[in-house]
Amino acid sequence: MIKTVGQNLPIAICVKNVSKQFIIPHERVSTLKGTFVNIFRKNTYEKFYALKDVSFEVKKGEFFGILGRNGSGKSTLLKILASVYTANKGSVEIDGLVSPFLELGIGFNPELSGRDNIYLNATVLGLCEKEIDAKFDSIVAFSELERFIDQKIKNYSSGMQVRLAFSVAIHANREILLMDEVLAVGDSNFQSKCLREFARYKEMGKTVILVTHDIGTVQRYCDRAMLLRNGEVVKIGTAEEVGNEYIYQNMSDEEKRIVDEQKSVDKKTIHTAGESNMPEEGKINKVAEITGVEFLDKDGKVKNVFETGEDIVARIHYNARKRIEKPVFGVAIYTQDGVHLSGPNTRDSGFVIDSIDGTGYIDFCIGRNRFFTGRILFTVAIYDRECITPFDFKDKAYNFNVISKEKNQNGSVKLDISWKKK
Amino acid sequence: MTKSHENYRELVMRIAKTDFKLRYHGSALGYVWVILKPLLMFTILNFVFSSIFNYRNSGTPYYPLELLTGLLLFQFFSEATMTGLTSLVAKAQLVTKIYVPRWTLVLGSTMNAMFIFGMNLIVLAIFFAIYHKVPSLLGICLFVIYSLLLYILALAFSFLTAPLYVRFRDLSTIWEVLLSGIMYASPIIYPITIMPLKVRTILMLDPVAFIINYSKQGLINGEFADGLHFVALFLGIILAVALAFLVFRKYEKTVAELI
Repeated sequence: MIKTVGQNLPIAICVKNVSKQFIIPHERVSTLKGTFVNIFRKNTYEKFYALKDVSFEVKKGEFFGILGRNGSGKSTLLKILASVYTANKGSVEIDGLVSPFLELGIGFNPELSGRDNIYLNATVLGLCEKEIDAKFDSIVAFSELERFIDQKIKNYSSGMQVRLAFSVAIHANREILLMDEVLAVGDSNFQSKCLREFARYKEMGKTVILVTHDIGTVQRYCDRAMLLRNGEVVKIGTAEEVGNEYIYQNMSDEEKRIVDEQKSVDKKTIHTAGESNMPEEGKINKVAEITGVEFLDKDGKVKNVFETGEDIVARIHYNARKRIEKPVFGVAIYTQDGVHLSGPNTRDSGFVIDSIDGTGYIDFCIGRNRFFTGRILFTVAIYDRECITPFDFKDKAYNFNVISKEKNQNGSVKLDISWKKK
Repeated sequence: MTKSHENYRELVMRIAKTDFKLRYHGSALGYVWVILKPLLMFTILNFVFSSIFNYRNSGTPYYPLELLTGLLLFQFFSEATMTGLTSLVAKAQLVTKIYVPRWTLVLGSTMNAMFIFGMNLIVLAIFFAIYHKVPSLLGICLFVIYSLLLYILALAFSFLTAPLYVRFRDLSTIWEVLLSGIMYASPIIYPITIMPLKVRTILMLDPVAFIINYSKQGLINGEFADGLHFVALFLGIILAVALAFLVFRKYEKTVAELI
């Protein structure tokens, strides 16, 4: 049971022990003759559990994310919530009318014009003709398809279809929105428009369920999230936790090993931090110490996962036990394989720090980061003014993850590239 | 489960309207075909069979009227069952991408046939006027009742077969063949009187043939079915509706997965 203490909002969706099984015949019979022939033959089929014993609750006004890889059962679950599929076992209780948005569309007919499709789908979502007449302009305006509204849907690009479908879905004004990969197609402009609309929905006390495999969106916009894997619930919790779990799950075994080691190292550091007066290897004179590094996005929100192209601020917290004149802060950025990507410091960057004394922090800003998908390790050090002896040196002690939506480059760093042929 | 749709009437009408719009879209003559198609069929059949049966001598002085009435009723049934049978598959996008009570899709699809039939009745009325034939009030009333019964029969068939068609796509071909069988087994192009009495009894077991025969007889010749037969027809149709209801309820749940 998931019950947040102190949050007594009414429940919008209650899913209990839901299982969904698909029967996949080895040779699909879809003719009568086939059936007759097969009556005498033993039918071989596979039972495939798309969902196994899934239970969760979503409260009214919540923004709930469902994460999972392809084939993890996300969309099946959403279809059950939308009553397109019927669950084999378990119960689904929904308080309120649902406006579903499945498989990038809400049932458009390609032969009909945009206008007719709006009328058809808005009716399907329960609006009457008068209401549609009243909302028609607003639906079209939101989709930005004024010029194309009398063209047949089959001539629309997939992005245009999604825009129109989404626009109808949100204008249906139902209490619960089910969104499956809605942000995958539209351009960034439209995406941010969608997300603004979601925020408005939330303010109105409506519930949004977002299915995606984009962790960034979930961590940014969802209150809570659920991670599915092979049809089972792996984790339900805050979006941050679930997102991090998802990243971990997606890593290869080797990567997992590194992260696990990292964790044990982290524990050790915490441990030794408790006895910080012990001199470490003699080299480091702990007059000043790095007490922690936080990673923030451009809005100042602490995050652990960034998208390629986002601004990243590394906030380096220090504690100087005595006054240090003109210290130099240095960072080194590594990929998870230990490849050294960059190693700037304040002196080389021409950033002069007069002095530090006591606790404080320095912000190291990366504008529009060019990292590619993966874990980025972060080394931080404080040196004296000659930049020779470190006061403190935390080697690859901090890290964050980068997720890239673009798949057109491999490797660790994204470059501005183009091709030419003579 | 989810609270369902609250505005069924509007939904069914919207589906029907959409279908009507799509029925002749992309054709130059558009809706004119609604009336033109049965008229052309009628012209051909009338030309061919008028020359085979010398109707003025065979006791059917209003052969063209009988032919047109029978033809319109049959086309009504044929159109309604064909669209009903394929309704769920044809509207797959409304089955898999969104939740709409499935019965609205079947009902909405078949209603198109009703629109077309309604418009064709105007043509029929004009023909009656041309032939200076005024049907009796009872004949008209029975015609309306028979038409409704025929529609209910077509609906029962649609509800029975639409979820099955999702599983067995050969049903549409089979039904197409059966429909042409039903057409020739019904007194449309020939008057029932040319059949021996025994054959006639057997033919009248087919509800479609029964309805077609007695609705045109009632309109044109003032002949009516006896009450017992009418009650039997009525009960038979109710039975078909009940069966369709049970089958539909059982199979509609898994439709979305199989489409």
